[in-house]
Amino acid sequence: MGTVIVSGLAIGMVYAAVALVYNVMYSTSKVLSVTTGHIAMLGGVFGAYIIAALGLHWIVGLVGAIVVGAVFGWLTEVLAIRRVLARSDEHLWLLSTLALATIVQHAVALWWGTEPKPFPRLIPQDFSAGVMDQKFWLPVGCAAVMALGLELFYRRTMYGKVFMAMSEDAFAARARGISTDRIRLVSYVLSGALGGLAGFAAGQLTFAFFALGHALTLSGFIALAVGGLGSNVGALIGGAALGLLSAFASYWFGGEYQQTVAVGLLMVVLLVKPEGLLGARNVRPV
Amino acid sequence: MTTTVPASKIAGLVFGALLIATLPIWAGDQYQLHLAALIAVYWILIAGLNLVVGFTGQLSIGHVGLLSIGAYGFAILAGKAGWSPYAAMLASGALGGVCGLLLGLPSLRLPGFYFAMATMAFAMIVNELVMANPDLTGGGVGLPGPLFPAPFGTPTGFYYLVAGMAALVTWLTWNIARRMWGRAFISIRDNPVAAQAVGVPVLRAKLAAFVFSGVSAGVAGAVFASLQSYITPDTFVFELSLFFFVCIIIGGRGSLIGPLIGTAALTALPELVAPLAKLGNLFYGVLLLLVVLVVPEGIGRVFEIVGERLRPREVHREPVSPDLPRLARALKERA
Repeated sequence: MGTVIVSGLAIGMVYAAVALVYNVMYSTSKVLSVTTGHIAMLGGVFGAYIIAALGLHWIVGLVGAIVVGAVFGWLTEVLAIRRVLARSDEHLWLLSTLALATIVQHAVALWWGTEPKPFPRLIPQDFSAGVMDQKFWLPVGCAAVMALGLELFYRRTMYGKVFMAMSEDAFAARARGISTDRIRLVSYVLSGALGGLAGFAAGQLTFAFFALGHALTLSGFIALAVGGLGSNVGALIGGAALGLLSAFASYWFGGEYQQTVAVGLLMVVLLVKPEGLLGARNVRPV
Repeated sequence: MTTTVPASKIAGLVFGALLIATLPIWAGDQYQLHLAALIAVYWILIAGLNLVVGFTGQLSIGHVGLLSIGAYGFAILAGKAGWSPYAAMLASGALGGVCGLLLGLPSLRLPGFYFAMATMAFAMIVNELVMANPDLTGGGVGLPGPLFPAPFGTPTGFYYLVAGMAALVTWLTWNIARRMWGRAFISIRDNPVAAQAVGVPVLRAKLAAFVFSGVSAGVAGAVFASLQSYITPDTFVFELSLFFFVCIIIGGRGSLIGPLIGTAALTALPELVAPLAKLGNLFYGVLLLLVVLVVPEGIGRVFEIVGERLRPREVHREPVSPDLPRLARALKERA
């Protein structure tokens, strides 16, 4: 039972970290990018590549994963977001980010192979550690650090306040002299770095696997929608709820129905409280 | 209601119909015939999906789930239960429609990205359920897809069957798209609030389009299972959904002929150009990104632009021939 709770919490925190990445992008651009899960996938794959294949120290792997994530976040903004937002056609960004996600996923599949490969252990630890194993606690710690860091960033730094201003009202922020295009680019680079970090921390749990992107995009989004779009605390709660629910579902019914249970949770929350647990109520556009 | 159709369009239509009808005669080998049948099968699904994506503007990326349901329904009913393939095909269509209704009822109320994610999750759930019930679906091993009886048992006969069905679906969607329902769909795509304000029942119209696409996907699944002769969960990967989607976006939203050409070209291209087959989905991703960034209206727009360049529209000119010496004199007088 202890293992079920800990493993559920661990995978839930991976989803929560992905949901936080969604939030950072959403705050400045009001875009939910399909590439979000793929950023984390890249973090895991490049972390494993640098440590296991190149044989470098794990700190180099961590930095590499963050840099790759940041570069991919930058690419997402430049390729898939900038021109599409300028056109102001609704939902076109869904297509462009979906296309970019597909490109990245299959490029990684061609280069890295389609088999999940193990992620090397970062801290020397015996495999019999059970619930104290690092593969469970790294994602939990990572998500906690990310949420705390983002909270400090939003409250204490100038850039964080500018992000908040843009998420409240991008037009008003622009009228106040904020270069909204540059801030959006910064937010994508930041979210890419965070996504790379999340994928790196989750690597031992999820393995370095090219097809992880879509699954994380979906699960992270469910965590986000359950917790409430735009709320970081909500993302943590939603992630934990989703992870624990899937873990207990596979403990009681077997592992075949994980997606079904996850989507069931999403549907129930959307029916009862469409804005999520801690989300702001949306005003209908007229 | 009668509308005059230009003669060139009728000629094109007749030529296209002749080409499709005589294809088994001039097709080089069995494989090309198989490819043509595959295009027709995909088109049966994509024609229905086109109403949802191209006309109503609901970005469903999970239609492979409905295709899978139709295919497994057909394989189970016609293969294991021993139904007549025709009855099984109709049952698959009905099953697809019911599943479309069940999926659409909650998810069509959701805004864009939420809807896309719900349909993607649906496709994953279908695969999960197929794997979880090996007694019924054969699990990872799969099921054989039975052939159709006598006149349609051969590859040529089967080709005529699916081509006829594709023509029927095309006719149905054409009728829907150009009349009242089609206008309602387009208005929902362009501005749901305005559509509601002028009395379009938004949810009902979306649901109608989605259920229609569910039926066509179920029927397509049935003939797909028969064409492939063996189905496993690996056949119905998420990338197939993406492929359907790309066909429509590339052909252009809100058109029938564009997605049809897109389907034919994208199905045939990787088979005819070997290096593309290896890259497969990467190629579709790049294509989708290029189209969305450069010509979101679809490839058809490129032809329009090129056509206007090559054959500029006649501009009415008023030739001006000024009396220059007189002008010069007038200017000199001023000075």
